[in-house]
Amino acid sequence: MKKILLMGNPNVGKSVFFNRLTGANVIESNYPGTTVDYTKGYMKGDSEDFEIIDVPGTFSLEAKDKAEEVAVKMLEEEKGALIICVIDASKIERGLYLCLEIIEKGYSVVMALNMWDVAEDKNVQIDIEKLKSILNIPVVPTIAISGKGFKEVVLSLKKAVSVEVKEIMERVGETK
Amino acid sequence: MEKKLSEMNYEEEGRVGSIEQDLKNKVAGMGIRVGKNLKMITKHPLRGPIVVEVDGAHTSLALSIADRIIVEVKK
Repeated sequence: MKKILLMGNPNVGKSVFFNRLTGANVIESNYPGTTVDYTKGYMKGDSEDFEIIDVPGTFSLEAKDKAEEVAVKMLEEEKGALIICVIDASKIERGLYLCLEIIEKGYSVVMALNMWDVAEDKNVQIDIEKLKSILNIPVVPTIAISGKGFKEVVLSLKKAVSVEVKEIMERVGETK
Repeated sequence: MEKKLSEMNYEEEGRVGSIEQDLKNKVAGMGIRVGKNLKMITKHPLRGPIVVEVDGAHTSLALSIADRIIVEVKK
């Protein structure tokens, strides 16, 4: 069975995401660090079933505390896993940082721009099409607490591919 | 004027001038990088952590970390 890891910064809604996808009932709260260990669940996709793992939040792949250590270790152990990178759309910059780190490691990533409603309230405007064309991965706006965008996330799982960071750099016009 | 991040006053804004080399990667994931604009939100008493705003998000840092980041403060 294919594995999916839910990764992202602390307090972006990964556990709400997990509950939505699996129908489980993991504790959610509006504090960073609610998930310090991982939780496993199962989901039916349109053609295959997936095992989903709710990973503790981390700012980067360089672990600074216990919860982050768990996150980084999980990622390393699941080399072939698909990653749903959950980002708080209203704080997109730090989410992108982690997401790029994961892409850099060669994983296939689907980006979920969660808390889309909060971003709209804060007047944060994100050009999804441009983000898609730069990163060349599926990017889906979601609202985990209401369920918006979930169908698209599940459908885009098979479009997730591993992308070369070098190519992304070329597309944004940076040369290294 | 340059000062340590830990020495910024409430509501004061500035731009990150330099970060000690071994700290750079550690704070990069939290959005703190050279050239970023910061605003001091809270300083906790008894040498507790500080909270800064960066890209619309609040981030807390230990004072010992904030001591090692130099900020160019806006007048």
